[in-house]
Parts: sequence; structure tokens; C-alpha cells
Amino acid sequence: MSEPVSGKPTKGEPMIKVENLWYKYPRTKKYVLEDISFTVEKGEFVALMGANGAGKTTLCQCLNGVIPNSQGGKVKGRVVVGGLDTQETPISKLAQKVGMVLEDPETQLFTTKVKNEVAFGPENLAIDPDEIMKRIAWALKVVRLEGYEERPPTALSGGQKQRLAIAAALAMKPEIMVLDEPTSQLDPIGTLEVFSVIQDLKEEYGMTIVMATHKSEEIAQFADKVLMLHEGRLVKFAPPREVFQDLELMKLTWTHLPQISELILFLRNNGISLKDFAILKDEGVAMVKEALAGKAGRVAS
Amino acid sequence: MSVVQYVEGNSLLHRLDPRAKIIMLTILTIIIFIVENFLMIGAILLTILLLWWSARLPMKTLASYFKFLTGLFVFIIVIQGLFYSGEVILVQPLIPRWVPLIGGLGKISLDGALFGILISARIICLICLLPLVTMTTPIHFFALGLTKMGLSYQIAYTMTTALNTIPVLQNEASVVMDAQKLRAFRVFEEGSFVQKLKAYPALAVPLVIGAMRRAQLMGVAMDSRAFGALKRRTYVEDIIMKPQDYAVLAVFAVYCAAVLVGNFML
Ligand SMILES: Nc1ncnc2c1ncn2[C@@H]1O[C@H](COP(=O)(O)OP(=O)(O)O)[C@@H](O)[C@H]1O
Ligand SMILES: [Mg+2]
Repeated sequence: MSEPVSGKPTKGEPMIKVENLWYKYPRTKKYVLEDISFTVEKGEFVALMGANGAGKTTLCQCLNGVIPNSQGGKVKGRVVVGGLDTQETPISKLAQKVGMVLEDPETQLFTTKVKNEVAFGPENLAIDPDEIMKRIAWALKVVRLEGYEERPPTALSGGQKQRLAIAAALAMKPEIMVLDEPTSQLDPIGTLEVFSVIQDLKEEYGMTIVMATHKSEEIAQFADKVLMLHEGRLVKFAPPREVFQDLELMKLTWTHLPQISELILFLRNNGISLKDFAILKDEGVAMVKEALAGKAGRVAS
Repeated sequence: MSVVQYVEGNSLLHRLDPRAKIIMLTILTIIIFIVENFLMIGAILLTILLLWWSARLPMKTLASYFKFLTGLFVFIIVIQGLFYSGEVILVQPLIPRWVPLIGGLGKISLDGALFGILISARIICLICLLPLVTMTTPIHFFALGLTKMGLSYQIAYTMTTALNTIPVLQNEASVVMDAQKLRAFRVFEEGSFVQKLKAYPALAVPLVIGAMRRAQLMGVAMDSRAFGALKRRTYVEDIIMKPQDYAVLAVFAVYCAAVLVGNFML
């Protein structure tokens, strides 16, 4: 039987606390993460952004303890998730705190049936088979893959595979879900499927979510905060609205703005005065309509 | 030509416990190496073919093994015939005996040829035997069988993942070859043998790098799901030895005894 996970964040403690984290891979000279500090509260959705090579994947793996527990390398500073210090806690316990979904749908699924895939984590924790069966049913329901138990994972679509990976992580009953670019290889429909499941995790199950992604539209819509990495350093940690308005930062980190924000900037640069900035489609459209109506009014009078 | 792909079915072989199959596979493999009597090795081959047929495994794959191996068998039989000295000569020496040093070379002896046939028969038996287990056992049950027989589950899983990776690698190889074709690299279709040999690194390097990257990513994914965290793990789909399994093992024991008696008596 698995032992109960004892660590609980004491009242008022954040769900994730990273303090002055430095990390270097075993065979690299330079630190890949440099002096990173931030906290995430329970139930928050934080988007990890930054150009390729900025250190998103590395930071994700620090959060579930794969770094340094199985990857090695040199760590300075502290990472505490759900009250557990990742450098002092075995992966088996961390896996019950932090679920992990990776970018590539293929390499993170390795069994022959959907059912076995979801069971894999709990089985490794030596959980009772009856309890695992309950968890399989629950996790597949959450990701909307009921009825797929006997199918081979290889026969699923990209979006279904990533949802299965989420279910496989959920079956270990974590409180935090870390997702490393889970939609970068998916088409728009697959992306939408995955985001809607993640929204459920946040809204209905109160999970804390950290997700590395480039998809600004979805970030604007769903994320509470953006953590921007640049060459291994944390350069901004703020709500999406604030981050997307920092145009110098956007340029520095090669970040695409949501399309509606691009439109607003374009209109501004072309002499149409807008009173505000927008990152969501609806607010942007309303704002543009108002501005154009005002303009039309002025022209008419 | 796949050896490991599971073939859906409900035959006796499909329903047997993986442990029973692994035991029988191991023992029969040893027997195939022991048996020297042509009648008996023929009987074993016939048994294997009958089992193949009864489990409704693809006959086309079976035929492809034979086709693929014919050249090798001819080679083995000729080589054994040439270098195995025997009384009865099938093919007279190419070089007359009176030529100094190399005189008498090129004769094929009956004993040598027969030994070559025996080796060929053993090879074909072994090659047709393995799929009887791998094609009738889902890979996770195969691993579970090995684990229950005492192998650590980490090793069992590593083995099965390696097997699982073969089709992926085949797929990747064809992607790389297509990419090369797009750049007008046609050695694998039109090149000479030597050219093909030289071209293999160009195919192998991306494959090896891809496989290493894949292994690293898979390692991270498995670690994240607590693989190997505890000594023992549980299984939602367990295997149990049924009376049927013991019955089959008993019949198999009698069969083996008969083959061995036949081998040493005849
Ligand atoms: N396994 C590894 N060994 C050594 N260096 C690595 C490894 N993985 C990533 N890196 C390096 O760490 C830096 C950050 O990479 P990564 O975290 O993958 O960035 P991102 O996910 O933002 O693209 C890069 O310079 C990359 O080359
Ligand atoms: Mg990455």
C-alpha cells in the first residue's frame, strides 16, 4: 500500500514556492535557470512563457522533482510544492502532489490500452486494484474519454492522447498539474479540447495549474498570471493583461500577442484612438466598435 | 515481417497463462538444440506449424520467414558440406586430388549436408516458435508473466518498451528514407550493394539520435508517474494460473518426453 502523503501546506502557505532557484544540467557549463523566485496560490493558473530554450521545460521538471531527483545536475535554492521540498522528498510522494503532462503525445504513453495507461501511475504506487479501477473511471470522465478503456492509445487523435496523459496524471490524485507545451503539436480542435479540460480542472476541482505554452489567446482567456522566462531568468510575473501590454518585453522574448491585441495596436498606430488595451476578443471588438462609432459620429457632424 | 506484433484472437494459445507459454517456449528451445534425429526435428516443426495454424496466426508471415531464410539455408548446407569430412561424397571435388595443397577441395559430403539441414531445421523451428508466444500474448501480460516468474518489473518493462519501440523505429526509418528521397537520394533503390552499405550511416544516425531522445523523454514521463518508486507494484489486470494451464503443461511434459525418447532410441 502507498503511504499517505503527509505534506500539507500550512495555512496561508502558497501551493508552490520557488526560492532563488538555480539549476545546471549534469553536462552543461552555464546555469539554465538563474535565481528564480515566485509563488503560486492554490487554484491559480499560471502560464509559463518564453522563447525556445528559455528554460520552460527545465522549470516544469523542477516543479515535480524529476529535476534533480532523477535527472541529476546542480541545484541551488529551494522548490516547495504542496508543503514538500522537492530535494528532500522521493518522486513517489511528489507524484501524488504534482501531475505532469509532456509535450510529445507519443513518448509519454507507453502501454497497450487506455485503461492500463491510466492505471500505470497508481500501480507504481502499489494502490489497491479496486481503488485504481475507481480512479480510472473518474479520471477518464474528467477528460471526457469514457468508453475508451479498451482502446490502444496509439489509435487516439492528438487531442485525445494529451487528454489521456492528463487522465494518467490525475489518477495519482495530485493537487497541482504541470503541463509542458501540451498543445504545441495539436491542431486547433485538439488544442481547444485540452484547454477546456484544463479549465474544468481549475474551476471544478480547484487544481493549481502551471502550463508552459505559446498560445497567447488561450492564456489571455484562462490564465491568472504569466511567468515570463528569458534566457533562464524570470523577467516578469504578472496578470496576462499587464504582460501583454509590455511591448518591449514582448519584443525581447519573441512573444506573439493575441490577435485582438495586435489589431488594437495596429489601429492605434494608424491614428485611431482607443481608450484602452484589450487581450480578449469580446472586449476588443466592443472597444473597436465604440471607437469607430465615435469616429463615424464625428465625421457625420 | 514482424515477430512481436500481437494478433487478436481467442485460441487455446491466446487463452493460456503467459507463464505457461514462457515455460514451454524455454523448454522447447532447449529441446530443439538437443534433438539430432531428423524424424523428431521434423515432428517438432510440424507441431509448431500446426499450432501456428490453430491459433490463426497469419500464414503469410510464416511463408515470409521461409522465403527470407531459404538463401541462408542453402548457404549453410553448402558450407557444412564443403568443410565437414564424411565418407559419402555427394558432389565430386572441383579440384582433382593430385593438385598439391588445394587438391580435393570443393567436394560436398553427405554427412556435412545432412548436418547443414539439421542446423537449418533448428533455425526455422526457433524462428517460428517465438511468435507463437509473442503474437498470442499482449505485451503487458508478457511482462507481467516475466515479473511473476521473478524478474524485476523494471527490467520486464524496459524489455517490453524496447519491443514496443521496434515498430516506431521502422516508421521513423521510412520517414528518414522519404526525406532523403525528397532530396534525390536514391541509393536505397538504385545503388549497388557497396553504395547501400556506405549509405547506411546516413540512415542510422538520425534513427539513433531519435531513439536516444525518445528514450530520454520516455524516462522523464515514466519517472513523473512514479515508475520504479517502490519495490512492489500492483496490477489492475492480473494473471492467474488456471486448471487449463496446468493441463496443457502436463500434456507438454508428455510430448517432450516422447520427443526425447524418440531422439535417443531411433
Ligand atoms: N537534458 C539536457 N541536458 C543539457 N542541457 C539541456 C537539457 N535540456 C535542455 N537543456 C538546455 O537548457 C536550456 C533550456 O532548455 P528548455 O528548458 O528545454 O527550454 P524551453 O522548454 O523553454 O524551450 C537550453 O539551452 C537547452 O539547450
Ligand atoms: Mg520545452
